[in-house]
Amino acid sequence: MEITMEITLIQGILLAIVAFICGIDQCWEAFYWFRPMVVAFFAGIALGDMKLGIQAGAIAELSYLGLLTVGGTVPPDPLMAGMMTVVIAYTTGKGVETALGLSLPFALLAQWLGIFFNTVYAGFMRPLEAAAKAADTKKFRNIVYLSVAIKAGAVALLTFLAAYGLQKPIQEFVNAFPKELIHGFEIAGNLLPAVGLGLLLMIMLKKENAPYLFIGFLIATFTSVGNVLPIAIAAIAIAYIDYMYDQKMAKAASVSMEGGADDDGI
Amino acid sequence: MTVSRNKLTKQDINKMSLYSVIEQSCFSFERMQAAGFTLSMVPTFKKIYGDQKEEIAAAMMNNMDFINTEPHMATFLMGLIVSLEEAGEDREMIKGIKTGLFGPLAGLGDAIFWFTLLPISAAICCSIAKDGSVLGPLLYIGIWFVAAISRIWFGRLGYTLGVNAVSTISENANAITKAAGILGVMVVGGLIPSYVSLEFAKKLTVAGGVNVQGVFDGILPNVLPLGFVFLLYWLFKKKNANVIVIILGIIVFSIGMSYLGWM
Repeated sequence: MEITMEITLIQGILLAIVAFICGIDQCWEAFYWFRPMVVAFFAGIALGDMKLGIQAGAIAELSYLGLLTVGGTVPPDPLMAGMMTVVIAYTTGKGVETALGLSLPFALLAQWLGIFFNTVYAGFMRPLEAAAKAADTKKFRNIVYLSVAIKAGAVALLTFLAAYGLQKPIQEFVNAFPKELIHGFEIAGNLLPAVGLGLLLMIMLKKENAPYLFIGFLIATFTSVGNVLPIAIAAIAIAYIDYMYDQKMAKAASVSMEGGADDDGI
Repeated sequence: MTVSRNKLTKQDINKMSLYSVIEQSCFSFERMQAAGFTLSMVPTFKKIYGDQKEEIAAAMMNNMDFINTEPHMATFLMGLIVSLEEAGEDREMIKGIKTGLFGPLAGLGDAIFWFTLLPISAAICCSIAKDGSVLGPLLYIGIWFVAAISRIWFGRLGYTLGVNAVSTISENANAITKAAGILGVMVVGGLIPSYVSLEFAKKLTVAGGVNVQGVFDGILPNVLPLGFVFLLYWLFKKKNANVIVIILGIIVFSIGMSYLGWM
C-alpha cells in the first residue's frame, strides 16, 4: 500500500525557509527559483525525499509553463503549486500526478495573496516618493527591501500552515477518496501539462511557424529521444536556414529596388 | 551653481547590472516596477553626483513613473539612462526615451526569456528530471543563473551603445522573434508526446471487440494528446477561456472518465 509520511515541525520550518527564499525570487523573477522545478527540488530535500521532489517538480513545471499573466488572466501560483505537489505526494503517498491536481486550491490561494500585495504596495509609493524627493536613499532602500521581506514572509507562513498545520486533514481527506477518484486525479495530472503547452501556443503559434510544430511532434513520436534537446538543436538549425533565406531575399529585393532608391533619402 | 559629474567606470556599470536583479521589488498595480527600477540605479546616481543631494533626488524622481518591462531589458534601459545622466543630458529627454522604449523592449525580452528560454530549458530539464535525476533541477538552476548574470552584458550594451543600440536592436527584433517562434513551437511539438498522456483503457471496445485506443494508434500514435493540446489552444485563443475554468474542467472530465472506466 501507499506509504503515508508525517511532516515534523523541523521539516515544516525547513519548508517555510525554502518558501521564503523562493518567495524573494518570486518578487524579482531573477534566478527562477520560484518555478515549480526548483521549489519542489528544495522541498524534496527538506523532506528527505529528493527524488520525489524532482519528479513532482518536473510535472508541475510543465503544467505551469504557459501560465503567465497573459491577456489579463490571473494564473495560479507556480511556487505554491510546486511546493504543495511535493507535500501532498509525501503526506498522502499518492503519486505526483494525483498530487498535482490536489495542489490547485493552494496555488489559487497563493495567487490571491499575490494580488493582495500588488494592490497594497500601491500605498508604498507615497513614502517612497517622499524619500526620493529628500534624496534619503537609505530610507528608500529600506522600504523596498521591507516590501520584499513581507511578501516572502507571507508565502512562508502560508506554506507552513498548509504543509505542517493542514497535513492531517489533507491526509484524511485524500485517504477517504474512493480509488476511482484518485485514478481520476491521476488522469488529470497526465492531461494538465497540455494547459501549459496550449497557453504557450496561444502566444507563439503563427501561420508561418505552424509546420514546425508537426515536425517536432513527429520526431518525438517516431524516434526514441529521451529528452527534447535533439529537437531543440534541429529547430535551431532550421531557424538559421530560415534566417539566411530571409537575408538573401532582403538583399535581392534591395538590388531590384536600386534603380529608384534615391528618392527616399533622408 | 554648476553641477559636477563623476565619471563611471566599467566596474560601476557591472555592479549596477548585478544589483538590478532586485528590479521587480515592491511591484504594485499602480506603477508596476517603478520602485525597484529606481532603487537599482541609486548607487550609480550617488557615484555620479557625489553629495549633490538635489541632483540625486531629481534623478530618482525622474524614474518614479509607471514602468513595466522585461527585467533584463530594464537593465539595458538603466545602462542607457546612467550614460545620459553622466553626460548631463536633459532629464525630460531621458524620461521620454525611457517611456518610449520600455514597451517595445518588453516585447523583445519576453520573446527571448519567457517564450524561448523558459519553455526550452523547462522541456529539456523536465525530460531529464522525469525519472528523478538530480541533473534536471541542477541544470535548470544553472541555465537561469547564467541568464540572471547576463544582465551585466545588457547593462553594458545600454551604457556603451546608448541610443544607437535601440535602432540596432529593433532592426534585429523581427528576426529574433521569428527564430524564437520556430524554436519554441517545434519544441512544444516535441513535448506533446512525452508529457501529455491521453489513452483509453485497453479493455474499452466498441462494435463487437474493436479496441478504441487501437483505432487511434492506427491513425497516428499520440494523435489524442496532439488533438487535446489543439483543443485547449482553440479554447484559449478563440473562446478566451479562463485558465482556472479549463483546469477544473480537466479535473472533472478525468474523474468522470475514471468512474466510467474508459481511461
